[in-house]
Amino acid sequence: MAAEQSSEQSSDRSSAPGVRIRGLSVVYRTGAGELPAVSGIDLDLPPGTITGVVGESGSGKSTLALSLLNAVQPPGRIAAGSVEIDGLGDVAALHGDGLRRARGRHIGYVFQAAQNSLNPLKTVGGQLLDLGRSHGMGRSHGPDDLRGLVREARGLLDRMGLDGARVLDSYQHELSGGMRQRVGIMLALVLNARVVVLDEPTTALDMITQATILRIIREVHEERGLTTLVITHDLGVVAEVADNLAVMYGGRLVEQGPTGEVLGDPRHPYTRGLLAAIPRLAGDIGEARALPGRPPTLDSVPADGCVFRERCALRMEVCETGRVPVVSWGSRTAVCHAVQGAREDVKQTVTAGTVTAGTAIADMGEEQA
Amino acid sequence: MITGTGITKTFSRRGGVLGGREVPALRGVDFAIEKGGAASFIGESGCGKTTLGRILAGLESHDSGEITIDGVPMSSLTPRRRQPYFRRVQLVHQDPYSALNPTRTIHQTLSAPLSLRARQMERAGTGRPRSWIGERAEELLSLVGLDPGYVLPRYPHQLSGGMRQRVVIARALTVDPEVLVADEAVSMIDVSLRLGILALLKDLRDRLGVSVLFITHDVATARYIGTDGELYVIYRGQVVERGPVETVISAPVHPYTQALLSAIPVLHGLETPGEQRVVPTEALDASRHDRGCLFAPRCPFRTARCESERPVLGHDGGTPQEHACFHPEARTVVAVPVSHS
Repeated sequence: MAAEQSSEQSSDRSSAPGVRIRGLSVVYRTGAGELPAVSGIDLDLPPGTITGVVGESGSGKSTLALSLLNAVQPPGRIAAGSVEIDGLGDVAALHGDGLRRARGRHIGYVFQAAQNSLNPLKTVGGQLLDLGRSHGMGRSHGPDDLRGLVREARGLLDRMGLDGARVLDSYQHELSGGMRQRVGIMLALVLNARVVVLDEPTTALDMITQATILRIIREVHEERGLTTLVITHDLGVVAEVADNLAVMYGGRLVEQGPTGEVLGDPRHPYTRGLLAAIPRLAGDIGEARALPGRPPTLDSVPADGCVFRERCALRMEVCETGRVPVVSWGSRTAVCHAVQGAREDVKQTVTAGTVTAGTAIADMGEEQA
Repeated sequence: MITGTGITKTFSRRGGVLGGREVPALRGVDFAIEKGGAASFIGESGCGKTTLGRILAGLESHDSGEITIDGVPMSSLTPRRRQPYFRRVQLVHQDPYSALNPTRTIHQTLSAPLSLRARQMERAGTGRPRSWIGERAEELLSLVGLDPGYVLPRYPHQLSGGMRQRVVIARALTVDPEVLVADEAVSMIDVSLRLGILALLKDLRDRLGVSVLFITHDVATARYIGTDGELYVIYRGQVVERGPVETVISAPVHPYTQALLSAIPVLHGLETPGEQRVVPTEALDASRHDRGCLFAPRCPFRTARCESERPVLGHDGGTPQEHACFHPEARTVVAVPVSHS
């Protein structure tokens, strides 16, 4: 679905805010000193698009998502970089009241396991009112804005195929996993946030419920003119909803580009390995191949050289140390020596320039093999 | 060989928001697993697939129906005599983080069942030397693809999820089981490591002749465990379709199977969606009725007959697989790989 949808169909899209993440690094303080969970991330979320970030445990994808809210908790901290959101500025520089207002009003967040993140002692409606009050509603202007909030919430729930009034009167345990997930989405959107982050939105949901939630995410995204970031370990989820795909490994972005292009023609050895490791429903099942080794943890990520080299079939001497080149062509990027080598071999025009800290950017033009 | 005939199980729920009521978890399920064979149970959560696995492993009782192990009906035995039979069925469940005792090293975890096993063999007159326990622990860890020297002295928290799941499988193998019941055994494992665990289960079939009962909501992994296996599609406690894995996946005839397979994400760019994808008309929560076909309220193809009469499993319409549907029609719903030029 994602790949077929044109990106300029919603009138609202033009006003969706863009997000630019630049040089983002997040470190965690441990017994062994400060270790990077996320290193030097450059990522654009173009206005009105859905971007999917895929990674395994320890890839830093959830840390990246929290950085969008500037909500990395100690012992973690944003050590470098910026997260610019249109109409809001650099989130990484916000603090105190400004930051609290930004959360909810500008950036909505649907937490991982949203199915379990509701307060079991309060109805959904009760929690909604808490949310409103924490944003100053019901105090200076009387209860009118709270009524408006409830109206908005009910509308959103109805839109997602639920009986809004009934759900607001329900406790968490009275709702199924798929219903709770929709409540999570409602709470993220009800204050009219235009940037929405969904962390593992369908984990622990059944296949059919997952398909429903993914369709809802896509539709609500279109209708409200959002800029959406979906964080997941499941390439299938990204394939269904995202316009653009970014693959993370060991705290770094290793490949990104339009979803269909990356899936149809993956270039980074990790992306290729990950795709090959997913058993499919058609074709020769014997072609599925496990990726050897295992993903690095915070303390086993190599500080120097390529983070994937331990598991890479194309490992070369040059991968052991130094910065890995960011190879860009068309709207795609891969961070890999082998990708660079392959592209040079086919004798394409290389206009290499040195950018920050010795990162070679090779612009390979639009041509594709 | 293990067979089940007409297995039923009903849970009664008291109080709560639903009020006191009976919840049928299994409604007369038949199955058979050959030695070294593979059977996969698929369905949504709450369909009864986990209950079936637990009944097989002797962890749960059933209300009626018969389980036979190697031709011996379990109902004919006293609970004490049943025990050695059920020990041949070992359960590997979803969460490798809670399955291992965090205060015990892997060496201790494996030694306990192995010394029990050693005593059994001694009683049976096939005693082993004292060193056997340690040797066997190493052997089993190597079998599941772990380095015994690294793993044995460690505690569970020092191992990754994938390694832990391999330890859980090694522990299940300590009692020389004939059947491994793998209940969502890879769903908490990192994507790049899942195939390794699946390959291990497949390998245990080939090398040790262990049968695998694979319980999952991820149909593609069922396919990896064995294309020669049987697929059982369970909906609200009833098997609605059953047949060879490849047949059920490529030409499913029950609308529920079709909906389940249609819901699997398509890797756009790499695959094209199946042409006849089926979307249920209602969500699961909206359909708690017990008249007629259980799937009828959600079925886009239902007729009046479906609302009043319940179809039973059979080959109606001459389909190669069994199904419980009045209107069986093979549809192409799964994504196919984009052909490379």
